[in-house]
Amino acid sequence: MMKKPCGTFDETYAQDMSYIRTPHRAGLLVVLFVLVFGVFPFVASDYLLGIMNLIGITIIAMLGLNLLTGYCGQISIGHVAFVAVGAYTTGILSNHLGWPFWATLPSAIIVTGLMGLIVGLPALRIKGFYIAISTLAFHYIIVWVILHGGELTKGVWGLPCDSIELLGISFDTEIRMYYVIMVLTVLATVLSFNLVRTKFGRGFIAVRDNDIAAEFMGLNIFRLKALAFIICSMYAGAAGCLLAHYVGMLTVEQFPLIDSIWYLGFLIVGGTGSITGAVFGAFAFRIVAQIVLFLAPIIGEMLPAVSLSSVAGFTQMLFGTVIILFLVLEPRGLNHRWQIMLSSFRLWPFPY
Amino acid sequence: MEFFSQLFVSGFLTGSVYALMALGIVVIYKASSVFNFAHGSIVAFTAYLIWYWVVDLHLNPLICIGLTLLVVATVAFLVQRFILYPLTGQPILAAIVATLALSEVVAGLVTLLWPGPARTYPSFLPTGNMEVGGIIIGVGEGVNFLICTVAFVAFMLFFQKSKLGLTMRGTAEDHQLARSEGVKVNWIFVLAWFIAIVLAGIGGFLMAFMHGVNQEPLIALGMKSLAVVILGGMESILGAVIGGIAIGVLEALGAGYLDPLLGGGVEEVFPFIILLVVLLIKPYGLFGYERIERV
Repeated sequence: MMKKPCGTFDETYAQDMSYIRTPHRAGLLVVLFVLVFGVFPFVASDYLLGIMNLIGITIIAMLGLNLLTGYCGQISIGHVAFVAVGAYTTGILSNHLGWPFWATLPSAIIVTGLMGLIVGLPALRIKGFYIAISTLAFHYIIVWVILHGGELTKGVWGLPCDSIELLGISFDTEIRMYYVIMVLTVLATVLSFNLVRTKFGRGFIAVRDNDIAAEFMGLNIFRLKALAFIICSMYAGAAGCLLAHYVGMLTVEQFPLIDSIWYLGFLIVGGTGSITGAVFGAFAFRIVAQIVLFLAPIIGEMLPAVSLSSVAGFTQMLFGTVIILFLVLEPRGLNHRWQIMLSSFRLWPFPY
Repeated sequence: MEFFSQLFVSGFLTGSVYALMALGIVVIYKASSVFNFAHGSIVAFTAYLIWYWVVDLHLNPLICIGLTLLVVATVAFLVQRFILYPLTGQPILAAIVATLALSEVVAGLVTLLWPGPARTYPSFLPTGNMEVGGIIIGVGEGVNFLICTVAFVAFMLFFQKSKLGLTMRGTAEDHQLARSEGVKVNWIFVLAWFIAIVLAGIGGFLMAFMHGVNQEPLIALGMKSLAVVILGGMESILGAVIGGIAIGVLEALGAGYLDPLLGGGVEEVFPFIILLVVLLIKPYGLFGYERIERV
């Protein structure tokens, strides 16, 4: 529910449903658009662009998880496994068959979507902790398959993957990759925004709030849950495809179980059940990771007893603490604060 | 057939440790409806803690046990009071993410405090093998099995006979009713966490004693005990026992028969595949309560 200043009325249904409802918002979006596509890539260093690229990929993956967990209420702690499926599909198609990007992206999305359907099948009968554990099981199975895939996945040696080539241009620098990733990120975000307003999106919310009540109201919750799993894994597949092309070398270590935990945790930090929340979560995830990289040498100097390898331990503790603090102090996440800020800005100078 | 029974027995013995660890998860779940994903990290933490007292500080074993119990009680209190109590009434996702994050905090702490390669306990148990009816059993495994059985029976007696245990079971049935009878429900939760961590500690110690004090495998063990609980059904202590032994046996059989065919590491995934199949047929595990709900 959007709080609007006095005197702003919706006169048509189209107005009531539109996203851009105030001139300020339209202006903000234009500014954001220019910043993302016009200014940032030209002023930022390669390092910053690299971070933004990772954030973009994380946003796509996080949006999928948000649809499944935030909107449909099905908890998945195997999200990274889906990303891995997308990445390895891309890697296999690109490396063994030499498929270009415009072919690998849809194939990765479709294959991962099918995988999501398979994992989602038990979810049609079970809920809550049982689903969480079955996705965990899926993670272990995928890791095992990748490690024992022989020539197909190249196991522990790693699978090389070509960079994107479209229209004769090779997207092999950070800035070129930035454009590919950002365009897809914006598309994914817009798609997500619209998806949750469709019949299915509303159905997801109904299933999350009370699946039995949803079933009584005539919703086909089996289909909805399966759909949520498919869409979630399709997003993950797209993220995995981009990651494969971006990184250029796939190993199993890039997809640890712990990342699934961070995805889920930082979804809460951002705010579950809202698209902006997922975007905030992705930013928070990568920014905290950068802060750790920045702090690690300082800690190493302050405490020489703590060896370099245990910086990983410090990272884990910091991430975990951030998530627990958010859960306890602000369970609605950054998005909630952002909305409060926005509405007070809109209503200023009045408090209501 | 001899190969089969050999695998079966050794899986059975390992499974008893899984069952003990799974009991810890079930105790917390029954008391406070929180599924403890941090079990694996806690297993590793306690194993390292005991190693620290015994090997690094050369303390008397009795003092070690006392100190460990003290630390465990503190951890149980802190977790319950400062993480889970504020989350009361939040959706199920909050509890899951909280315990997952807790698991990473504990794992990070272990890495920070005890970095580097795996440790080993001094051997105070007899090693070697013995033969029972043509089946070779490691003496250590046999002793593990005995310790697990004793611990299991002790906790069963505690839950069946002692007043505190009965209070805990009553609290698990209905929080409000327990509260109206004057039970301090929050302290019961703390007690549940305490018992769970002690069980994790015993399991972790036994496993670390066999295979060395090493973080990754110990956490993986805890993860496996999650699978055990889901397989047996979350509310059922009997399910934890049967699930634990089933996973242990299946793992051994998978390793024995499928490893040569599929090329190693099958025992890591085989329990999870079985778990998925069982969940498809029996969605609430083997002995879990079927959910009966009203809107």
